[in-house]
Amino acid sequence: MTRLEATRALVTAIGDDAKTPIIASLGHPAYDLFAVRDRPANFYTWGSMGLASSIGLGLAMAQPDLRVFVLDGDGSLLMNLGSLATIGWVKPANLVVVVWDNGEYGTTGGQDTATKHGADLEAAARAMGFSATTTARTDAELSAALIRARTDAGPWMIVAKVQETAPAGKPPLDCVFIKQRFMAAIGHPEAGTS
Amino acid sequence: MLFAPVPVWASGVCAGLHTAGSRHVVYVPDNPLSHVLRKLRGDYTDVRTTLATREEEAFGIASGLYLGGVRPTVMLQSSGLGNSLNALTSLIVPYQIPMLIVISMRGDEGEWNAAQVPMGRAVRAICDAIGLPWAIAASPESTAETVQLVGQTAFGTRIPGVCLLPRRITVPPAKGVAR
Repeated sequence: MTRLEATRALVTAIGDDAKTPIIASLGHPAYDLFAVRDRPANFYTWGSMGLASSIGLGLAMAQPDLRVFVLDGDGSLLMNLGSLATIGWVKPANLVVVVWDNGEYGTTGGQDTATKHGADLEAAARAMGFSATTTARTDAELSAALIRARTDAGPWMIVAKVQETAPAGKPPLDCVFIKQRFMAAIGHPEAGTS
Repeated sequence: MLFAPVPVWASGVCAGLHTAGSRHVVYVPDNPLSHVLRKLRGDYTDVRTTLATREEEAFGIASGLYLGGVRPTVMLQSSGLGNSLNALTSLIVPYQIPMLIVISMRGDEGEWNAAQVPMGRAVRAICDAIGLPWAIAASPESTAETVQLVGQTAFGTRIPGVCLLPRRITVPPAKGVAR
């Protein structure tokens, strides 16, 4: 499956639940999420490569009643593998880390990542104490995993093997707009904005 | 040592961050900050603490806490500021994600380790360069007020604020002849 098809499966699994947050890693994961469905509860990062799962962990601790989805890339997660250890320790049941694993740094020109040469991010998450892990190679496997991850206790690691495709859009560029729209959408508007 | 009294400066840090409304501390530990953590765990049961593997990760976690409506504090040693710059400059500053940043200084007066000096000397210039206001606690007795004011300013203005804890406060000079 392509990353765009995988992104459609994610957005479909979340459905019309407008409060469910998705933290998107910078570059192509964020671009495809925007292209498939721009929604206020999408938090698009424009920098801080590697930190999507850390932002998701903080949000999951602050809001245990929200199911927090993180959309990461293999290259990005490899930049912050310590995050897996912290998530495995804290064990937020409401955190779902989804990794688009295309084996390459797609946003920067297609250089190989370590996952193309044997690194196994699902195994890493399991070793670090994630409660539920899986690797999806087809649309159907991914959709089935996402549906379980909406309700079953995490932390979840879903590694989806995807093919790189040119992204079809770009999210808003105003970082403060992204933040304030996001916080209002998940039910905790930033102080002084409402 | 386990039952040693918590130093005044460390109790002050706890009181200051609590009064500023912070209820979650994300940290990478160092020796002096262990006193703060001990006091928090003993006397501030409404403050949660989370250990990060690296300072940049701590800033990511703190950003997520803020997005979820919690006022975060990040505690680190000055050496870790270097590890944090990408998070600060490409997430926290441009998205205006406020947090209280408490830095235990190395490399300033009283330092013994040359490897700590370059970053320690650079901390204030780095903060200036990336637009983070900073304040130095002037005495053990004033940490509560300084931390509180830095926190209140950060959460009010949405500009993260840095409180520097100099080594002459956190590791008071030994009496007698220097080694």
